[in-house]
Amino acid sequence: MAKLNEGLMLRVNLTNQEVTEEEISKELIKEYLGGRGLASKILYDEIDPKVDPLSPDNKLIFATGLLTGTSASTGGRYMVVTKGPLTGTIASSNSGGFFGAELKFTGYDLIILEGKADSPVYLSIVDGQVELKDATDVWGKTVPETTDYLQQQVGDEKAKVSCIGPAGENQVLFAAIMNEKNRAAGRTGVGAVMGSKNLKAVVVRANEKKVEYDKQALIEVVKKHTKILKEDGVTGEGLPALGTKVLDNIINENGIYPTRNFQEGTFADVAEVSGEALVEKGYLKSNKACYACPISCGRDTKLPNGRSGEGPEYESGWSFGADCGVNDLNAITEANFMCNELGLDTISAGATIAAAMELYEKDYIEQEELEDGPELKFGSSEAIVYYTKAMAYREGFGDQLAEGSYRLAENKGYLEASMSVKKQELPAYDPRGVQGQGLNYATSNRGGCHVRGYMISPEVLGVPEKLDPQELKGKPEWVKIFQDLTAVIDSIGMCLFTSFALQAEDYRDLVNVAAGFDLSVEELLAAGDRIYNLERLFNLDAGIDPQEDTLPKRLLEEPLPDGPHQGSVAKLDQLLPNYYTERGWDEEGIPTAEKLTELNLK
Amino acid sequence: MGLEIKFFSLLKLELKESGVEYDLDGLTTIEDLIARLDQDYEGIFSEKLLEDGQIKMGTIILVNGTNVLHLDKLETEVSEDDEVSIFPPSGGG
Repeated sequence: MAKLNEGLMLRVNLTNQEVTEEEISKELIKEYLGGRGLASKILYDEIDPKVDPLSPDNKLIFATGLLTGTSASTGGRYMVVTKGPLTGTIASSNSGGFFGAELKFTGYDLIILEGKADSPVYLSIVDGQVELKDATDVWGKTVPETTDYLQQQVGDEKAKVSCIGPAGENQVLFAAIMNEKNRAAGRTGVGAVMGSKNLKAVVVRANEKKVEYDKQALIEVVKKHTKILKEDGVTGEGLPALGTKVLDNIINENGIYPTRNFQEGTFADVAEVSGEALVEKGYLKSNKACYACPISCGRDTKLPNGRSGEGPEYESGWSFGADCGVNDLNAITEANFMCNELGLDTISAGATIAAAMELYEKDYIEQEELEDGPELKFGSSEAIVYYTKAMAYREGFGDQLAEGSYRLAENKGYLEASMSVKKQELPAYDPRGVQGQGLNYATSNRGGCHVRGYMISPEVLGVPEKLDPQELKGKPEWVKIFQDLTAVIDSIGMCLFTSFALQAEDYRDLVNVAAGFDLSVEELLAAGDRIYNLERLFNLDAGIDPQEDTLPKRLLEEPLPDGPHQGSVAKLDQLLPNYYTERGWDEEGIPTAEKLTELNLK
Repeated sequence: MGLEIKFFSLLKLELKESGVEYDLDGLTTIEDLIARLDQDYEGIFSEKLLEDGQIKMGTIILVNGTNVLHLDKLETEVSEDDEVSIFPPSGGG
């Protein structure tokens, strides 16, 4: 039995097949909590941040959060932390479902995978037995095929499988790691690192739940939180009914719904592709919940042709929809299903096709390059489906798409077409109409990302209070607090959506009761600040220049052409210096010695 | 032309309507508008959008794309040809 304030790590050397157990110090757990924080600390201590991300010298860490596997609401998440091949920054990608909790039940808080196997293998941790097994039979198989096959191999359909699809094997730079077929550690190309190690899957099954905490005391806190989450308009009503796709119309009506590769801020055909349309067209079959989740925002969907799967979520529906100018919800959902089956990050996949469409329409890509593929024209349903498959298998022009929009646009001599930060494609909010979100994109430690500090919540949704999206004053402070709190939520293994309803005090109560800590809210947020700074140090050591804390030229210089924010640009230059000050960094964006000492990072 | 009101999210799904167009006819503020909608739709608007007579946290009411919380909240005036978009509390990401 493992207490939550103690930790056990499994170290797996894929090169020589050695497997060892190591204890994790209590001090580290108190300082970094678990998950994203603890794994980032271990990665920073163990690898040279300058390593080639796809070389055997990189390490891949599967980490459960501090509260993963407990009764904490949504406490089932795990993170994959490594150096990312798309960005060259630290990468940490987070997934729900049930794999994380099952991993925790095995008694291991974290698995660190090193080196590279000679031939395809999978790691099996079943009923206390840890083994590396031959995966030759499933190399080349899709995510659902691999999942079904490995559950049969271990003889237990309750075994949880986290694996890569063909995209990870082919080292597509934005390949995902998928668990239970449809849940994704999606962003930053963690799947490509797994593929580079010849590791197809991790399979976990525990015959007893090796997690020890005061269950009675925790359930009292959880009951209170469940009531809050159920009664909240967002987590109790909006998300269960419409999922994340409730946002299509909200973001479009606010004029920040990036359309045709961020060339416009509103999409005329939004009614055809929105969350409401998913329900009205009859594609939505049922809601789906992850481990210990009272929200149930997942979407089980079925197309008229009988194809079924999960999604689309808001970001996925947008990247293949408005961003590609496509108004065909059937094709968008099909492209999403394919990403899940082939193991691709939906945001980068769709946004890279959108960039390619702009490059094609502006004559930077010749038709001959597409070989037998359809023309890359905005609005083409055929193109989004065809090139999703082509990029996963690196077939034809798909081989160039598999490198992501930044490398593609640079290669074609028109970098402006890549709507990315630190080479990772931006998600579905145009920062010209939400200034704080722009600052968050520019300073995210894993490249362009919305879930490192979701400023849409205060700037658009009005939660916990409504901020004027064009106001600059106070935004650096908000961004910092959101980034720090997010680092905490990721590290304790809960879902970020709980923060629509829960407060920092609520997370503190959970952590203290479950792990026996006595942290104040300030100390908990300081852990988030520490994690954020540690990730920053990794990136600086990796050679990421702070001048990359920026946004694509289009967003800084070209005013939004339409909608309520028509005429606005992202005013990052006015926000960034104050953000650096707020973070305790010097004017070059480097953490000061005082700040590092304060956070015990020196 | 009158005032164009667009329903979204649970309002659209529950009412099975995309919106409605009203003549102003004495209607001058968002508060008046919600009262008129309540009359026509059995009180669902104030139930979903308001709490203690104020705009509930997370409710989004836009007049021509600007959130009324940055105008005059429920006292925000509406005029001929304005477009009002209404969302009950919603979130995602």
